[in-house]
Amino acid sequence: MKCHITPAHRSIWCMSAIFTLLLFATAAAAGGKTYDLKATPVANGVWVVEGSTANFSKTNGGNIVNTGFIETGEGVVVIDTGPSKRYGQAFRELIERHTNEPIVKVLVTHHHPDHAFGSQAFDPNTLYMLDESARLLERDGEAFSDNMYRMIGDWMRGTEVTVPQHRVQPGEFQLGKRTLRFIAMKGHTGADLVVLDETSGVLFASDMVFFNRALTTPQTPGLMEWRSEIQQLAELPFSIVVPGHGPIVKDNSAFLQMTDYLTWLDEIMASSAARGLSAAEVISTVIPDRFAEIEGARYELTRSVTHLYSDYENRVLTGN
Amino acid sequence: MVRQFLLGALLLLSGAAWAELPADPLDSPLWEYNIERYLGQGANVVVDDRVGLSVPGFAEDSTQVPLTVNLEGFPHRATRVVTWVDMNPVPLLFDAESQDGGVKLVSLNFRVQQASSVRAAVLDEQGVWHIDSGFVDAAGGGCTAPREIISGSDWENEFGTLKTGLFSEDGNTRIKASLLHPMDSGMVGNVPAFFVGNVEVREEGSDAVLLAMTLAESASENPMFVFEFEGKSKALAISMEDNNGYRFEGAIGGEKP
Repeated sequence: MKCHITPAHRSIWCMSAIFTLLLFATAAAAGGKTYDLKATPVANGVWVVEGSTANFSKTNGGNIVNTGFIETGEGVVVIDTGPSKRYGQAFRELIERHTNEPIVKVLVTHHHPDHAFGSQAFDPNTLYMLDESARLLERDGEAFSDNMYRMIGDWMRGTEVTVPQHRVQPGEFQLGKRTLRFIAMKGHTGADLVVLDETSGVLFASDMVFFNRALTTPQTPGLMEWRSEIQQLAELPFSIVVPGHGPIVKDNSAFLQMTDYLTWLDEIMASSAARGLSAAEVISTVIPDRFAEIEGARYELTRSVTHLYSDYENRVLTGN
Repeated sequence: MVRQFLLGALLLLSGAAWAELPADPLDSPLWEYNIERYLGQGANVVVDDRVGLSVPGFAEDSTQVPLTVNLEGFPHRATRVVTWVDMNPVPLLFDAESQDGGVKLVSLNFRVQQASSVRAAVLDEQGVWHIDSGFVDAAGGGCTAPREIISGSDWENEFGTLKTGLFSEDGNTRIKASLLHPMDSGMVGNVPAFFVGNVEVREEGSDAVLLAMTLAESASENPMFVFEFEGKSKALAISMEDNNGYRFEGAIGGEKP
């Protein structure tokens, strides 16, 4: 840069110009937020990237989700891509630091943005999703995207809805030295993929299971349907459960908590409807102490009542 | 001294327009404007949380935000209950009149255009308005996905379906009525206003009106009304009328055919 000012003022002007430039540079760097992702090995050749149990915010950039990857000997299978393009890029680089195998299959477990919005960072030819999930992502993707920009702001920069080209079919899948089982469920969104690594016993339950984090219900086909699928998950030959949100567990405690919480949620709405309570009254229901460890319970109760309570109300009303 | 006097005089003058109006607990720019608009000029107003307004802190679905005015802790008889959403294009939600002051609870969902303060004003038997406020953040949160509205092919068959229920609540009578109605506010392009404007609740077989309510543009689609009245009633009747002349009537409780 050139400074055409009298010599006496030159140095001061240049200094302040440089200072201003520096300020901009710092601001730009602050805008270039980075996800500090860490891969935790949970079994031989299996890693989990654990997010927080908080809600989406401009501080966490939506890193509130658990993702993972599995080495097969013939390429890496990735489970979910995270909330943004930037997360996806950081995740892909993290995978490349941990293994020399190429990424061959990226499984997007369902259409929610925190699981599906990092897909842009991966080779489109490796992206897979359940057929129904892809349809839902086509339908809801743009609305989710608007909402994500509002909630996490700059972290979303450059993120575009990417619907996986390929479909995943339920059943056994053999690759290299791994046998994976793909299970299609419905409880959380109507189309939820669960991945069991039969070789290691690691169960990637995705959002079929929330642990110590309140489950979200906007698209559930029904709380009791979800609960019965939790029973099916509990019967699988697993050694480790990786929930979609919350800490990894080695026993069935996440399933027990899910069952307990879903049962409570169903009962509180059914009994409130039977008493004629209004939605606003149900939202302020006392949450039992045993759910104290569940983060976001009050917030999610508000959401669940908004989505589900009118069905419970209508069931106890009679036609005229 | 002189300065202080002048300052005092100035304050007095500027305050004269709404001499008795207390400060807005939520500091909304529309506090005075909407109070004057819905309660009238020179209304006698006090801020009072015993009015028992409850709204969620955020709108999960901006077309259906639950609101309840629960007068359980209100020490006066409530002869009118007026609610509004300050920042909505037409703020008013409803204006309900209870001649005998026996209304104990009113609940109805509303639409929210943007984050807004919400007010419930209750008129007591001495002519004083008691106002309670709440705030709804309309940015939503989480992977907000409003559920699919049940629309489509059988809309015309289901239109006007009225379902009701009678519930007892601590010696009072609570009723619920759900009406399938689009409640088009007239603010959506090419969709003319088509909404229920009047709701009445009576004791079955009596002409005495327990509650007469007018609804406004802030009311949600497929309204679910919850009302509670003092004392035990065995049978009530509800009737509604929309701006196209459709009338919806239902018996609540009593002998069902």
